[in-house]
Amino acid sequence: MTILTIAKTTLGEALRKKILNIFLLVAVAMIAFSVSFAFFSYREEITIIKSMGLGVIAIAGMFIAIVLGINLVPAEIERKTIYTILSKPVRRHEFLLGKFLGSLLTIFVNISLMSIIFIALVAWKNQWHPEFALLKGLLMIFFQLYLLSSVALLFSVFTTPVVNFFLTSAVYIVGSLSDITLAMSRGEEKNFIVKGFYWALHNLVPQFANFFTQNPLIHPEVVIRNEGIYYAQNIIYAIVYAAVLLIIAILLFERRDM
Amino acid sequence: MAIAVKTEGLTKNYRLLMHKDPVNALTDLNIEVQEGEIFGFLGPNGAGKTTTIKMLLGLTYPTSGQAWILGKPAGDIEVKREISYLPESPYFYEYMSGTELLRFYANLFRISGSAQKEKIEHLLKLVGLYNDRYKPLSQYSKGMLQRIGIAQALVNDPKLLFFDEPTSGLDPIAHSEIRDLILKLREEGRTVFLSSHQLSDVEMVCDRVAILNRGKLLKLGHLDEMLFGGSVEITASGLDASAVEKIKTLAKSVAAGDGLVTMSQDEGEGVGKVIDAVRAANGQILSVIPQKRTLEGLFMEIIREVNK
Repeated sequence: MTILTIAKTTLGEALRKKILNIFLLVAVAMIAFSVSFAFFSYREEITIIKSMGLGVIAIAGMFIAIVLGINLVPAEIERKTIYTILSKPVRRHEFLLGKFLGSLLTIFVNISLMSIIFIALVAWKNQWHPEFALLKGLLMIFFQLYLLSSVALLFSVFTTPVVNFFLTSAVYIVGSLSDITLAMSRGEEKNFIVKGFYWALHNLVPQFANFFTQNPLIHPEVVIRNEGIYYAQNIIYAIVYAAVLLIIAILLFERRDM
Repeated sequence: MAIAVKTEGLTKNYRLLMHKDPVNALTDLNIEVQEGEIFGFLGPNGAGKTTTIKMLLGLTYPTSGQAWILGKPAGDIEVKREISYLPESPYFYEYMSGTELLRFYANLFRISGSAQKEKIEHLLKLVGLYNDRYKPLSQYSKGMLQRIGIAQALVNDPKLLFFDEPTSGLDPIAHSEIRDLILKLREEGRTVFLSSHQLSDVEMVCDRVAILNRGKLLKLGHLDEMLFGGSVEITASGLDASAVEKIKTLAKSVAAGDGLVTMSQDEGEGVGKVIDAVRAANGQILSVIPQKRTLEGLFMEIIREVNK
């Protein structure tokens, strides 16, 4: 109940944030803009619309998740709203989980709005045959942003929004290159310290790259073996990883002086 | 009478980056606040007032010492159902209206349904914001925000209220309204822990006060006892110039004019000597009035003494 109350307030405030609305509007405009590539063949055109749509949703979602996440706790402390909330019968973990749930709801609402336009556009280009397979890609984007939000929330417990922005962005970039860090950790490099460094990067930083499923969705010839297991594994990975980050964030937040 | 707030050796030190020694925000605070009283918590900026309140609310952890609120350890979740807090210059979610804000806080206490509706209406009327209840808080003036802040602090019918500078930045009318409201809260049997720079307000409403400076408690006691005493003003007539000259050697100050002589002397034997001297010179004592110090005067005296 308390978590939901705080989550609803976080959602209500976030949906009125101008910067987040600008990200959403720009993303929607870019998805709509992809239709203008009418000079390609039908096959190429639909590929571009799908590719651009999923890419734009992922990038806009990333900005929304980071901008929202980095301010979750510091903004409440700066404005002193946290004092009136935590002086009421609200446990610190309830506050933190409420803020996290609120940010997830905001991401969900934003992704859903972009997705509706995107799927409608693809359906229109497909003679009104909607491609529900795209929902799998959108689901992966949501879980990637869910994981990213938990990273931003963890840092927001003990850093300023500016530092958090760079930290979370760096983690996202490194995590998006997890195929490369894996290759480097198994490569020909002789120095075990360098190999160990890449191994640690690959295994400790969230593997955001695993959530990029655009290629098989856009190019039907690319096939993921055991598709159900692949998606389930990644979703479970996101849930477990985010849960660990949330537990660390709660432990740090419990001891923090406000 | 039961104790609403008690601290024993409450101490808070902060470690700052690049500083070898910790900063002492509060050192060994021992106070007791009785239920049903308005307790003034005074001190200049940086005295440790807000740090103390935050520790009492469980927002900040003490370095050492302990605190109890309504008989339970500070920060206890059950105690928080019976207390409330209004921070200095509070900011609330600006997109909400007055009604929505109170609904949010009522939900945190799990007050719902018709009880919530009635409570919100009552509070909005109490703080004079009923007609502005649907306006977003972004359109509220500073005084209105302070009043909605007080309303949120009353949403759970608290036994104990912590007010941090509740009248800061308000116009004289709003000032007086909030003063009256604090007095009304005492009449209702609630305890108010009032941290304020507005010494005239504190003087008008508080039963007891604590004065802090640089994290240390300098004075604690009943306001009446603190302010009364000190000096006595004696007014007499019928004294000639030679008598006035003689009294000048006995009194702390002497002012003569229009046939009246006004003398002041610190409480104690000196007062009797001045009166005896007036009588010996065949003067007539018109009045002997113990002077009440102002809280501001006392406060400045104490702070100056410590800073010497």
